[in-house]
Amino acid sequence: MTDIKELSYRQASEELEAVLRQLESSQLELEESLERYERGVALLRELQGRLAQAQQKVSVLLGEVEPESDDSVDASLS
Amino acid sequence: MEETTRPAIPDTLASVSTSAGSAQLAPTANDTPAGLTSAGSAQLAPTANDPLSVTAALELAKGLLENISLSIIGEVSELSDKPGYRAVYFTLSDQASALPCVIWRNVYDRQGLELRQGMLVEVTGRFTLYAAKGRMNFDVRIIKPVGEGDLRVKVAALARKLEAEGLMAASRKRPIPRMPERVGLVTSPRGKAVHDVLRTLRRRWPLAEILLAGVAVEGDNAPEQMIMGLSHVQANSPEVILLVRGGGSYEDLMPFNDERLARAVAASPIPIVTGIGHEPDTSIVDMVSDFRASTPTAAAEQVSPDRTELMAWLLDCAKRIDSDLISYFDRLSERLSRQATHPVFTDNEHMLRSRLLSLEHSQQRLLLAGDNLTTPFAAAISRLAAQLQALSPIQVLARGYALATGADGRLIRRVSNTEPGANLTVRLVDGSLVTEVRAVIPESMQTAFNYPEQTIPADADINPDGPTIHS
Repeated sequence: MTDIKELSYRQASEELEAVLRQLESSQLELEESLERYERGVALLRELQGRLAQAQQKVSVLLGEVEPESDDSVDASLS
Repeated sequence: MEETTRPAIPDTLASVSTSAGSAQLAPTANDTPAGLTSAGSAQLAPTANDPLSVTAALELAKGLLENISLSIIGEVSELSDKPGYRAVYFTLSDQASALPCVIWRNVYDRQGLELRQGMLVEVTGRFTLYAAKGRMNFDVRIIKPVGEGDLRVKVAALARKLEAEGLMAASRKRPIPRMPERVGLVTSPRGKAVHDVLRTLRRRWPLAEILLAGVAVEGDNAPEQMIMGLSHVQANSPEVILLVRGGGSYEDLMPFNDERLARAVAASPIPIVTGIGHEPDTSIVDMVSDFRASTPTAAAEQVSPDRTELMAWLLDCAKRIDSDLISYFDRLSERLSRQATHPVFTDNEHMLRSRLLSLEHSQQRLLLAGDNLTTPFAAAISRLAAQLQALSPIQVLARGYALATGADGRLIRRVSNTEPGANLTVRLVDGSLVTEVRAVIPESMQTAFNYPEQTIPADADINPDGPTIHS
């Protein structure tokens, strides 16, 4: 099973959805259901953590971004 | 009549205009000085030595300008049509010049025409001078369209061409990833748009890495720069690219109608979302992109899930996963109690009964097999019996042989086994004779063989048809 840290957010959230579906079906062995539950909880914690702590990374490939100013461009006649 | 429909802009202009109203001026420069003398009062006569006040000079100009009624063709390049305003303002221009125009709301509403930027129009009216600012306007009384503006004609032709090539087909539009890990952003590094996008993504989807190419989005080299920006961003393999800019005039947005840029967008291996300007006009780049958002902010929203919604979903998942496990256990224990009521556990003889049945069945089969067991042997025995019968001495008797037995019942095999006077029982096929031996005549085998009939006396009380039985 893939290490949760290596999953993308989307992959992790898709897997969480799948775990929920498996738990909702009655097809699992008892041991398996416990294992699925633990995996689901781990996925949940990871996703919540990522969302809560994310810091956006901006890589500037070209140009230089000017800080935001109030004199925004307004082409309409005043 | 003329006076009432004409908009009276500021009061000062209106009053001056009436005072100079009688002037009849032809719209040619040569005529103006000559006409003026006949029109004006003595104080207004221009002479080189007699300087005028500003007001007087503008009144003079007004008198010259305001009676010239004429028609002009030009392109609407800037437009301010705000509800609640008493007039619509626009600029009429050609390559070299621009003329500010005003059309009063009630006049505009009668034209049945919706002015748009870039539209080529013919306007009829007169110049007016606003003395307080020394500004000249053209006061429009009639406005009508003259075909489409040059730029718009070209853009529409390009749109038709690219559409015919299939570049705008809905089937080419790719789905926009919902949770991209990397987002390319090609826009101006200055102005509102870039910050609108960054702010929106930071708020909604901070998990994405943003690859920003800050390029010119306006001016002659803008298409080229944006193409370069796209390729820089593409080289870093984002999942989706935003190509955005803030609002502007039709002319400002012209780079987004550039054929090279449109082709670069259409050929992008990565889906592109556009958010160009704020006006209802759709650019060609919008038409060939994978998704057209109305503004830069809307474009950013298109590529990002809302963090708040995701958080809510996760909370919901947390509840679901617990209740799922609990109901799973409930189902398990329910199944267990159902199994506990199975006859196996409740009926002691359940298992025994079925085994008894199967045992009986086995017994039946065994018996049947036992019955069949002797069949082949019985057949062999009757075959042997037949053979045995064929070999029976009785059969030999039938062919005419006889058996002689002594008084003790033993078979007389040789003449030496008996003596004269002995009683012999001679058995034939259909019965026995009781005889007495009168003589014993030993004989060599050979003679007996050659002369069998002579070995037995003619009166011997034995079967005359056959020899004595050999043993």
